[in-house]
Amino acid sequence: MEKIVLPDIKDLHKIEVYKANDGYTAINKALSQSPDDLIEQVKKSGLRGRGGAAFLAGLKWSFMPKTNDKPKYLCVNGDESEPGSFKDRQIFELNPHQLIEGTLITCYAIGAKTAYVYIRGEYHKWIKLFQDALDDAYEAGFVGEKMKETFNTDFACEIYIHKGAGAYICGEETSLMNSIEGQRGYPRVKPPFPAQNGLWGCPTTINNVETIANVPKIINKGWEWFSKIGEPKHPGTILFGISGHVNNPGVYELPSGTLLTDIIYKYAGGIPGDKKILCVIPGGSSMPPLRGDGIEGVKMDAESLKAAGSSIGTGGIIVMDEDTDLVKVLARIAKFYYHESCGQCTPCREGTSWLVRLLDRIGQGNGSSHDLDMLIDVASNIEGNTICALGEAAAWPVRFMVSRFRDYFEKRVKKEIVLPVKNKVHSMRDTAFPLDSP
Amino acid sequence: MSTFTLNDEEIEFKPGQTIIEAAKDNGTTIPHFCWHPKLSISGNCRVCLVELENIPKLVIACSTQATEGMVVYSESEKTLEARNAVMEFLLINHPLDCPICDEAGECKLQDYAYKHSIGESRYVEEKTHKDKRVQLGPRVMFDGDRCISCSLCIRFCDEIVGEPELTFIKRGNGVTISTFPGKQMENKYSLNTVDICPVGALTNTDFRFKTRVWDLSSNPSICTGCSRGCNIDVWVINNEIKRLTPSFNKEVNSYWMCDDGRLNTFKHVNAKDRVDGAHLRKDGQLIKVSWDEAFANASSELKNITNKEIAFIGSAFSTCEDNYLFTKFAKDVIGCKNIDFIRHTNPDFGDELLRQNDLTPNTMGAELTGVSPKQGGLNLDGIVQGIKSGKIKGLFIMEDDLLEAYPELEKSLPSLELLIVLSSNFNKTTAFADFVFPAATFAEKNGTFINFNGRVQRIKPAVETTDLDRSLDGMAMSRLDKFGTSFDRWAIGNKHDARASWKIISGLSVLFDKKLKYKMSENVFDDMSKSIDAFKGLDYDIIGKKGVLLKDKLNEVTQTV
Amino acid sequence: MEFKFTPGNQAKINDTLKKYPTKKAAVMSVLFLGQEQNGWISKEVMKEIASVLEITEEEVFGVVTFYTMFYEKPMGKNHLQVCTNVSCMLRGGYEIFIQVKEKLGIDNMEVTEDKNFSLEEVECMGSCGTAPMIAVNEDYYENLNADKVNEIIESLRQKN
Repeated sequence: MEKIVLPDIKDLHKIEVYKANDGYTAINKALSQSPDDLIEQVKKSGLRGRGGAAFLAGLKWSFMPKTNDKPKYLCVNGDESEPGSFKDRQIFELNPHQLIEGTLITCYAIGAKTAYVYIRGEYHKWIKLFQDALDDAYEAGFVGEKMKETFNTDFACEIYIHKGAGAYICGEETSLMNSIEGQRGYPRVKPPFPAQNGLWGCPTTINNVETIANVPKIINKGWEWFSKIGEPKHPGTILFGISGHVNNPGVYELPSGTLLTDIIYKYAGGIPGDKKILCVIPGGSSMPPLRGDGIEGVKMDAESLKAAGSSIGTGGIIVMDEDTDLVKVLARIAKFYYHESCGQCTPCREGTSWLVRLLDRIGQGNGSSHDLDMLIDVASNIEGNTICALGEAAAWPVRFMVSRFRDYFEKRVKKEIVLPVKNKVHSMRDTAFPLDSP
Repeated sequence: MSTFTLNDEEIEFKPGQTIIEAAKDNGTTIPHFCWHPKLSISGNCRVCLVELENIPKLVIACSTQATEGMVVYSESEKTLEARNAVMEFLLINHPLDCPICDEAGECKLQDYAYKHSIGESRYVEEKTHKDKRVQLGPRVMFDGDRCISCSLCIRFCDEIVGEPELTFIKRGNGVTISTFPGKQMENKYSLNTVDICPVGALTNTDFRFKTRVWDLSSNPSICTGCSRGCNIDVWVINNEIKRLTPSFNKEVNSYWMCDDGRLNTFKHVNAKDRVDGAHLRKDGQLIKVSWDEAFANASSELKNITNKEIAFIGSAFSTCEDNYLFTKFAKDVIGCKNIDFIRHTNPDFGDELLRQNDLTPNTMGAELTGVSPKQGGLNLDGIVQGIKSGKIKGLFIMEDDLLEAYPELEKSLPSLELLIVLSSNFNKTTAFADFVFPAATFAEKNGTFINFNGRVQRIKPAVETTDLDRSLDGMAMSRLDKFGTSFDRWAIGNKHDARASWKIISGLSVLFDKKLKYKMSENVFDDMSKSIDAFKGLDYDIIGKKGVLLKDKLNEVTQTV
Repeated sequence: MEFKFTPGNQAKINDTLKKYPTKKAAVMSVLFLGQEQNGWISKEVMKEIASVLEITEEEVFGVVTFYTMFYEKPMGKNHLQVCTNVSCMLRGGYEIFIQVKEKLGIDNMEVTEDKNFSLEEVECMGSCGTAPMIAVNEDYYENLNADKVNEIIESLRQKN
């Protein structure tokens, strides 16, 4: 299987190596075509966003106005903060030039002359790695004013890194724009949508790092080639990050539609101690969790996961074995969204605090069946009533975890489950994980 | 005209209007906290979620534009479910301190909790605690626990005043509002944040814990702090003013008023130095006498001075009616030409929002009613010189403190043969007066002011005097006014023996050949509208609740337009 | 204590400003510079930034308190950030947090007396595949166990 985003090529992060592997030829090819043609190709390729919503990338680009009365912007979303997601850092580290090239092509297609790559602030190392690559690309004349000469074109585009400073919500596209503008990272009320009224009131497109990194190959190898990889409705490869109770956690680039069980057992080496799986979250912590006894045959793509009652999200798979304290897991997930709620709108600001307190109480052994109903009720009251999708992100894990594992939660509140290792439910198990020196 | 359907009723809307605006114009209030017609849309409270036909997700009425033919349900089951959910969320961390909260009784959260929530709390967890009793500025106190983070106060300072002194800090459930460390909210309009705060998070330090708002009555009036003439409500309990708040008038002050007007224009009404009853000087002392005795003595002393040796100083603090009769009395009854009034201005007071440099409410009214020297008569400077030189022997002052404005007259005032002062409070000038007649304040009379751009506006009494009657004079009554018995200590208000200046002058004129007899201020105005061009065609009904522009001013305005 | 940017940082600010059409957009970058120079974000740092970027002090304050990476008090020379979010937790994140807490004798967001260490429980750092982890200032230490954590702290102590 060919890897698109993270091919096994040594030192690909170096510009000479990237160039030697057809690097910066897609932009050259793109510049000889019209922006509309490019949008059409990406549309036909079926490339869907890799940041969570799996929206058709080409369609998103086509929302950008064709007029030129205002500057247009591209934001590349590398805020990567969803628990269970750690794929974009691999792109910054291993294949930064493909991201740069994809950014240039996208800018050309949507008519933007400036792109901001928003990278979460904690990624100091990856910001530096990406900045080094960007400096090399500028130096080589692939970015900025020098592009005109290099590619013999009128088009030039600047790419800047915008460093985040610790806020999950800035991965939400309107919040990300406010953050770039130097404001508190509050999501904006939509409409207007970014394509009409984005950065500084100008038309703006926001795409995930992985989405953009796919673009050069689509242009070079053609949309048909791409559209035939994996599941037809969600084609291409996906960077699956797998973590939790597996022997070989990490990022695996696999065709969409790969079986979840294959990823867990074939690629990630199965469960330590050959334990059973209690629960799997397939797309980052905000996505509805699946029961371990129900993952047989579940394929990893947007449509299949929807049918299975979850969502592809960022492709971050979190595996929990049979000894896991699900109450504690859910309480920790709820605490995350409570901590990351921007506090702007009522249901999220207040609802996330309610969920955390309820779950903490249940975790302390003071919960009842009635509290489980209450959890579902509070979560449902947040859903759909908020400014941005963090409401759903906070509500889904709670609503689906409690309803899908109702038997488990009932036993817990009735104290019928004895947790396997007292006070050390989430210990570093005896079956030691492989340790690499940092 | 475009239309859409709101709760099965077709309503009209103007292009660009949001659902909430169009609904409001058609008489339907969609519940809201963070929306304000004069501020930008923040969409954060989520109470105005409404259902649109064929759209699965609810939308907020404050930011969703009305479109032709759209079908909106603001009372459907789905809408009510969401509204109840949001109300419950707003209440879970809100302290249950309504019994000690100043906002109770006029609290939107409280009102909505009655109207739009399920009425019981399912919340049994610990509440979030934030900072309480934060002195946000010299005039505003903040209680973080009560705040619902609607951001109205932040947007007000930023967008209306142009001084962004407030900001949200922190995030999530910890979000609260703050000034920059070491700074305070000091802008001249800071107390409007208290008005627009939908809960008791922001309170007025001048009003906190003074009374329960449901015990107050409110009457419409006009602020006397400057020539803007902001529309206000005067809030009274036990016949004492407790606060002023702005009332909406889009032509004058929108929803706002300045802190100076709000705090510094009513305290004298309740002050200890009020003139209570008519006074005359006997053996060097001002003593209270009957009105008849004061009128009789004052009229006979007035008759002893020639009309050239007397001067009349009217007032831009007085109503048009007061000034009209004042001028008539000076001119027609006494035959005096030395008439003028003192101008009170401060070049540093005005700003671009509301405040005007003219610190009186009725300069234009005084001018139009003829408070100016008649042919060959002395103007204010001339009068002051005349007092100094001894040429002026008698002085009749209405509602102003001459000595405060001209301290150099301290030595000359005692040598006047006759000094008659109409004043609400004892002051520097009354200390030398031979007669002090108790003038009713703006809060104790009917009348009109004309603001700086020529708008005639009504004032109405809110505080009783012995001369007024609550029901006869159409004053609103507070709960205690209505139901307090004579055994209830709190129901005993203090009524001053004071009269509107026009009425004092009218009473005095009866003892002269030419009598100025009027029953009510309205009659004075009607007379005025007959004899003064600027007022032609106007009466109290036409002026109405929001006032009208004077005709020639209207022409000026339309011409510039 | 007055705060002024060093000429070197002033030059960096000027470079940053070129990236954006407004000065305000540079606020996060400039805050990082201020924090680097001053050790933490003091009132004076915020004032200086407001004046350099021609925005209000309130705007700077609002931004500082929104993002977790700006510290409103001095932290230790080695700021230890332990992730306890779900993927780390499943592999011992909380144990490491407790271990560090006990070893250093400080609680969350506290600083040791010698100011050498401070501790912060952080949300997901993107190390789920190499969990559990600690970040020391800007450096990630991943795939940890109890011995590794001890080693890290001891070596940081010796460096001092």
